[in-house]
Amino acid sequence: MSTSTVMRDAVFGDHGTRSATLDRLPDGERARVVAIGGEAAVRRRLLEMGLCAGTTVTAVRRAPLADPIEFEVRGYHLSLRSAQAALIVVAPE
Amino acid sequence: MNAVAAPAGRPLVVALAGNPNAGKTTLFNALTGLRQKVANYPGVTVEKKSGRCHAPGGDVDVIDLPGAYSLVANSPDEAVTAAILTGQRADTPAPDAIVAVVDASNLSRNLFLVSQLIELGRPLVIALTMVDVAARRGQPIDAPALARALGVPVVPVTGHRRHGVDRLLVALHQAVVAPTPVWPLPEALWEEAHELSRSIADLPEPLRVAAARRLLAGESGGDLAAVERQPAVVAALARSRARLHNLGIDAMQADIEARYRWIDGVVGGVRGERPVGRTLSERVDAVLLHPVAGLGVFALIMFALFMTLFAYVGPLVDGIDAIVGWLQAEVGDAMSAGPLRDLVVDGVIAGVGSVIVFVPQIALLYLFLAALEDSGYLARAAFLMDRVLAGVGLHGKSFIPLLSSFACAIPGIMAARTIERARDRLATILVAPFMSCSARLPVYLLVIGAFLAGQSAWIQALAMLGCYVLGILAAVGTALAFKLMGAKRERAQAFVLELPTYKAPQPSLVARQMWTNTAQFLTKAGTTIFCLSVLLWAMAYYPRAPQERVDAAMARAEAEVRASPPADVDAAVERAREHAAGHAQLEHSVAGRIGHAIEPVIAPLGFEWKIGVGLIGAFAAREVFNATLGIIYAVGDPGAGDDDDEIAANEDRLVTALRADRRDDGSPVWTPLVAVSLLAWFVLAMQCISTTAVVRRETGGWTVPLIQLAYMNALAWAVCFAIYQVGSRIWGG
Repeated sequence: MSTSTVMRDAVFGDHGTRSATLDRLPDGERARVVAIGGEAAVRRRLLEMGLCAGTTVTAVRRAPLADPIEFEVRGYHLSLRSAQAALIVVAPE
Repeated sequence: MNAVAAPAGRPLVVALAGNPNAGKTTLFNALTGLRQKVANYPGVTVEKKSGRCHAPGGDVDVIDLPGAYSLVANSPDEAVTAAILTGQRADTPAPDAIVAVVDASNLSRNLFLVSQLIELGRPLVIALTMVDVAARRGQPIDAPALARALGVPVVPVTGHRRHGVDRLLVALHQAVVAPTPVWPLPEALWEEAHELSRSIADLPEPLRVAAARRLLAGESGGDLAAVERQPAVVAALARSRARLHNLGIDAMQADIEARYRWIDGVVGGVRGERPVGRTLSERVDAVLLHPVAGLGVFALIMFALFMTLFAYVGPLVDGIDAIVGWLQAEVGDAMSAGPLRDLVVDGVIAGVGSVIVFVPQIALLYLFLAALEDSGYLARAAFLMDRVLAGVGLHGKSFIPLLSSFACAIPGIMAARTIERARDRLATILVAPFMSCSARLPVYLLVIGAFLAGQSAWIQALAMLGCYVLGILAAVGTALAFKLMGAKRERAQAFVLELPTYKAPQPSLVARQMWTNTAQFLTKAGTTIFCLSVLLWAMAYYPRAPQERVDAAMARAEAEVRASPPADVDAAVERAREHAAGHAQLEHSVAGRIGHAIEPVIAPLGFEWKIGVGLIGAFAAREVFNATLGIIYAVGDPGAGDDDDEIAANEDRLVTALRADRRDDGSPVWTPLVAVSLLAWFVLAMQCISTTAVVRRETGGWTVPLIQLAYMNALAWAVCFAIYQVGSRIWGG
């Protein structure tokens, strides 16, 4: 069983405890992607943009109303609405 | 290595594919120069750019595909790119070779698309852009090593300086089919892919495993459509998926992660690593995305944009009007009086004028838009504004289109092209005409000046502000309703906004954007606007009023003037006779009859038939309402005149006539309540054929503009009905 799937089931399943998600990562801090939830098309696009399990992500800043959030991933800058950042489970580096 | 050769008798067809912001357009311009064709793909509003260039091995037709992050499409742009590359579009030939435009400073994510392009089995060349940016960041890319790792030619290019362009032209003919990498997939997934590939009969052997893997990863449609329909494949796919599910393997995630593991290996071998501090782009963003400073700069830029479209464009528009007026006078003098002269002068020349009058606004908007987009700021503006607009179901990139619509909905709707997500774009186009455009301003001023003149200044100011607020509220409500209708689909769409590295906008690219968009407006939307303008002219011109009726009206007007002769009696008589003739003709025309015919529909809103005629006239452009009222009240066009005094006098005459107008029962036609109702009508109603023509062009069909026309006018009618009916019960009309 792949690690990512186990984690996803644990986090998004009925009895998992909710761990840290990317939307709660404080500005300037780094974390490692553990799993990605959400509908297939959204998950696919987030993965395609390079947010794979194990990838390091840095929260750069939030827009004036705290949403969307700018991240640095794989050396480029990407912004996600916080509802979508909340689909990405992360662990401390 | 097999050289790529075009089938005899036609040039080699090469497609440029790459991520957004990878420098594709710059390279395309460098390759094709001025030999470009810009059109639209039929059925979708995606720009189709192609051009020819002369390469050492023979002519090459270059297609600039829309930017794409992946061949599994998430937007109409990406769908077109995927369809062409897989040979699924009948109107565009599948390319003989692909140039993958890869941003060296963002190598990892750019190579994801390359990992998909490799699997298409077509000859491939990599054009490596932004090599200098990567080097400055301490991450220089070893191009020969990248070529060895991928097995295809890699040519570093700097499009705007033409560095490497000649080498790329040579390399086009050396493009080769890249060897398919052995993706580091989980063992079980490989086994299932091979198992499934045995059910796929009608693909060449080497492509079967790749197709099987893509099917397992959840891809469908496009080039897989024929394969996935076969009963044997359907059954085998279901069995494979069940087995993978039991093993806890998510095939889609495993597939994408395997590509990135392969990419990490490639990048590790070709990219130098020298630690550098924050990049210039990041330091700039510390200011431009700052909650206070960033919003301040944003407000300044938007203010400059708005003032350009709203105020500074004035002299250019006046200039066009003056030229059109001069041309009308010259041609009018040269031709003998009659229907032909009227058609040429008032129909054709005025119709052309009604199209080119939009050119300054469109050109200037595109000057801003192209510069903002090319510099990378457009994405930042969207980032700053997204939260506010997302709340009502729009997108950060809706801001500039909506702001521009306060000047004119036409450039505003055209600016919505910068929005990638189809639904956000449609929502923006739907609500943009609710913004009070500058053509409504003369109507607001006339109505408020004439009927709220007795009120205090702050009531007048409030009425004006109310018009703008009502429009914004209607837009918000409409966008929210649209959001609720599509809530489910909305959740299924990702919002990913890349914040590309800043760069200086290239003047040539900006100028080209300005030119192609303006030219497209003139040729596509312009022809529709012109035809509708001539049609509206004909509606006011035909049928001709009988001469005896016109003579009688002129005689009556002359008698009235002579009954109480003013100082300059001859001029007054001349003017009165002219106005009376205009009135008689308009009332007799199709437009005049429609004004009468729709009276039962508009009477509950407080509008009498003369207002109805004005509303018909306003379809040409909203400010024409004033001119039409002037004619129907037989006082002449309030905006016409040789100097400011004459214009002011004309306006005074119209206001006086409006105030004096009485219904058959002696009550005034125009009450403050009618004025309020009419203002609400002008805020909410869609009565601008030019906007409708542009919406048709931008959405690729008549469905959206007709729904918009029906919706906005129904809403306007309902609101005006409520205002007038409730108001007249409270204040008695």
